Amino acid sequence: MQTVTLTINQQEVSGHPEMTILELARESGIIIPTLCHHASLNPIGACRICLVENEVNGALLASCVTPIASGMIINTESSRVLEHRKMILKLMLASHPDSCLVCDKGNRCQLRQMAAELGIGSSELDRIPQTAVTEEVNPFLIRDMSKCILCARCIRACQELVIEGALDYYGRGFKAKPATLFKSPLENSECTFCGTCVALCPTGALMEKEEFYRGTIGTVVESTCPYCGCGCSISLEVKENRVARVKPAAEDTGPGTLCVKGSYGCDFIHSPDRLTRPLVKENGSFKEVSWDEALAVTADAFSRIKDKHGSDSLAVFGSANCTNEENYLLQRFARGVLGTNNIDNGSSLYYAAARQAFYDSVGFPGITYTLNDLTGTDLILVVGAEPAASAPLINYEIKRAVKLHGAKLILIDPRKTKLTLFADCWLRPEVDTDLMLLNSLAKVIIDENLVDREFIARKTENYQELLDSLATFSLETAAEVTGVSLEQIRLAAGLYATAGKAAIIFGTGIMQQLQGTENVKALLNLALLTGNIWRKGGGLRALLRECNAQGACDMGMLPDFLPGYYPVEDLPARKKFETHWQANLPSKPGLNALEMMQMAGEGKIKGLLITGENPVAGFPGSALVEEALASLDFLVVQDLFLTETARLAQVVLPAASFAEKEGTFTNLEGRVQKIRKAIEPLAESRPDWKIILQLAAAMNQPLPFNSLEQVQKELEELVPLYKYDWEEKSPKEEDYWETMAEHRLPLKRFPRFSPVEYLPPLKAPDTQYPFILLAESALFHSGSGSRSSKSGRLSRFSASYFLQMNKIDADMMKLQPGDRVKIVSPVGELPAVVEHSESLPRGLVSLPRSRSDYPVALLFSSPPETSASSSALQRCYVRIERSCSDEPEK
Amino acid sequence: MEQIIDKYRGDSTAMIAILHDLNAAFRYLPREALEIVSDRLSVPLSYLYSAATFYRSFDLEPCGEHEIQVCLGTACHVRGSERILDALSRRLGIKPGETTADGKFTLKRVNCLGACALGPLVSIDQKHHGHLTIHQAERLLEAYKDEHD
Repeated sequence: MQTVTLTINQQEVSGHPEMTILELARESGIIIPTLCHHASLNPIGACRICLVENEVNGALLASCVTPIASGMIINTESSRVLEHRKMILKLMLASHPDSCLVCDKGNRCQLRQMAAELGIGSSELDRIPQTAVTEEVNPFLIRDMSKCILCARCIRACQELVIEGALDYYGRGFKAKPATLFKSPLENSECTFCGTCVALCPTGALMEKEEFYRGTIGTVVESTCPYCGCGCSISLEVKENRVARVKPAAEDTGPGTLCVKGSYGCDFIHSPDRLTRPLVKENGSFKEVSWDEALAVTADAFSRIKDKHGSDSLAVFGSANCTNEENYLLQRFARGVLGTNNIDNGSSLYYAAARQAFYDSVGFPGITYTLNDLTGTDLILVVGAEPAASAPLINYEIKRAVKLHGAKLILIDPRKTKLTLFADCWLRPEVDTDLMLLNSLAKVIIDENLVDREFIARKTENYQELLDSLATFSLETAAEVTGVSLEQIRLAAGLYATAGKAAIIFGTGIMQQLQGTENVKALLNLALLTGNIWRKGGGLRALLRECNAQGACDMGMLPDFLPGYYPVEDLPARKKFETHWQANLPSKPGLNALEMMQMAGEGKIKGLLITGENPVAGFPGSALVEEALASLDFLVVQDLFLTETARLAQVVLPAASFAEKEGTFTNLEGRVQKIRKAIEPLAESRPDWKIILQLAAAMNQPLPFNSLEQVQKELEELVPLYKYDWEEKSPKEEDYWETMAEHRLPLKRFPRFSPVEYLPPLKAPDTQYPFILLAESALFHSGSGSRSSKSGRLSRFSASYFLQMNKIDADMMKLQPGDRVKIVSPVGELPAVVEHSESLPRGLVSLPRSRSDYPVALLFSSPPETSASSSALQRCYVRIERSCSDEPEK
Repeated sequence: MEQIIDKYRGDSTAMIAILHDLNAAFRYLPREALEIVSDRLSVPLSYLYSAATFYRSFDLEPCGEHEIQVCLGTACHVRGSERILDALSRRLGIKPGETTADGKFTLKRVNCLGACALGPLVSIDQKHHGHLTIHQAERLLEAYKDEHD
């Protein structure tokens, strides 16, 4: 490659022609001070602090935007450079307020650091301080534009990293400022409060609100965000055993970005509602007891129930928010000590459908992932997902791929999502007809001969069966049923099949349907037809709601699989675990989470251990779940808070939060990431893994571990999936699949096409319930809301009770925005406030799945028997009644 | 509206020209108009707003019937245009950048009208009036007032 040679500070250096002077200087170990420059943003040369002199012609150049040229003789610290650099900084300081002593940014202010480095004290310039404090009502950030130095880091962060575009320059000259459209407050703009701009602002112009400590913090602990499945890296800033601030950590994979939950939602750690001591229920009320007593009561109850009613009268419901190590221990405890396969985790409610589909099609129930991010892909197909709310980081990635790297975007969703603006093609099928639509895409791809013949012949099975199943498929009927025109179907199929590298991202919208498993199989068919299944930049990704949904499943927190997805019926695999664990393991698949609740109601499950889940708030048919749990002989709950579920327990054990323990989370790509202990466990709370070990010991069947490292060692030994350090030894694209199949996965065959057929709804919709209600993920909340509603800032800012509906529907019912209504479903009712929505078609209404004290799930009934392995539904039929009373909302 | 955008064939590089025409047609840039331009040209609204606030020739508030521009470029400034601006401002009872309550006049200070030889220069409805004294400027204003009464 061509190189350019020049001199920087008498040192001869060379680089490639696209490099800037700054980049080459940094690479050569020469420090040039910068303010507006940031590695993850495009350089714009706004601040001019990085001036250098080209001694050939005496030009002063902003090194961050000047490309290198051969023969340059650069001096980064000549007397002219220093003089100008100082003057530039003095000019900045002259319009900057004199408030350093009381400014919250304090020693973290880069302007102040720069002044100190350049030795600037008081200056000879007349001061023209500016006045401009923007009033914001949001609880997350505060803007003081008098401290702005116009570096445009915030603007670039908003436009280049999170592609929200809420900010741009306003005005010019001395009056120029970064502002929102029409200078409206942030809460009325596109801003999602992701906090990226705050993390990048060099001065006190953008500051976090409501920190408990405002000074400079020495202790920073790198960890992983505990909310959704994206698994963003975060830096916890710690002061006096408290987490004072959370910042995005710089990642090798890309710029550090978070969403509002990661940046401002971790204050649940210090919520005054945290459980501090173990509780035991006596005569209907809780009493604080010692750990020994609580563990003894629990161990005694479990032993008693096991002896009297057998192992399978016990069940364990683990959490997709606990670490891999904890999930591993918990399932070993359930299988080895309690002796039951009645094990499940919280992600099953939506993820089970996809896992089943992957098991049938690919032969491995873990979702496939590809090693690189979406940046390199040619096309992204997003189906039934609103990543802006459920997986913000993926949302940024999709937008960056489309906006900055020219990827195409196809959306399949009845709702108008925030990605619609970026889409090349938006298919808007009638609710629950996705399968018909996906099959029609496959049909077009086959008919128009757009398939990857070689891949199909070499790497797949069952192609003929798929051809047969689609032989009589009528595209006209499909267009009629789905309401999507033939041209659009052809356009989307053509785009997908001819793109090259095409990734599929799907969400709960498609998993939580009666035909959820079939939907995912249809997506897999598309990927197999075009050879996109294991291709780098291709593949399929499910958006997972919890930080460790993937890990909990990998660890065997499932009724039918041992760790690493060895089926429980598989004798050789079971033997291996039995030898290792020195225990007899049950050989029949156990009950899944929904079945557990049902069996508890029927009295067949007597004792239940729940860690970190809140089924009363999160499960469909909340009222029945509550009844079922209350009828148990013995319920023990490990949680951070006294949740709706914990209130029903006989014993409540206070668990430590993610910031108070070590371990690993596996994100939705399958990346295993560390969480690190930042502070000591609050009061008497203990990490879940310790509690499980102590519980096993209390039952006189101690598990042979003293430390997490020992657990990790066993886990790596028994789960080949986790043996592999994929960061270091990432296999080449072409043999990725072979490497995976050979070393990590219990695989015995090639991926298989699965013929799937769309089934029209069995019964006509009940005219009494004319609307279809969608429960949607909310950006400001997570899961059942147990933690996010304990975050002071998140819960105060987000309203949970707004019912979104199409304006025409609302007008026909004479409902105005702000009107109070009652939503009635066959199994429950909930008050709400009407809001018009442009994103919903007629007949659809939606509520956010948000606070645990506003459980949308109570409107939903349990899924019908026919789909035992499938997920709980995300939609139900409702009617909307005007509420007569003026009862106050929660 | 559509005509203006069509005139430039929806070309995003003609953004400034389109905004100029719209500003002339509506005597300011209504938010709705900016939204339509954003949609038709596929240019982010925030970018249009950024440009509209950068250039003096765009208004985001409705302007009066007559637009009075007082040039404060260097040449006019040294010939005392600041005092003409003050005088007009007092007469109209508004500050530069504001519009009279009856919606008749908008008073603006502009940076240079490019006719320095004529300074001090006042432009009313794009018509230049050069070599003005304070007294002449005030009489000119009265003329416009009378003309339309």
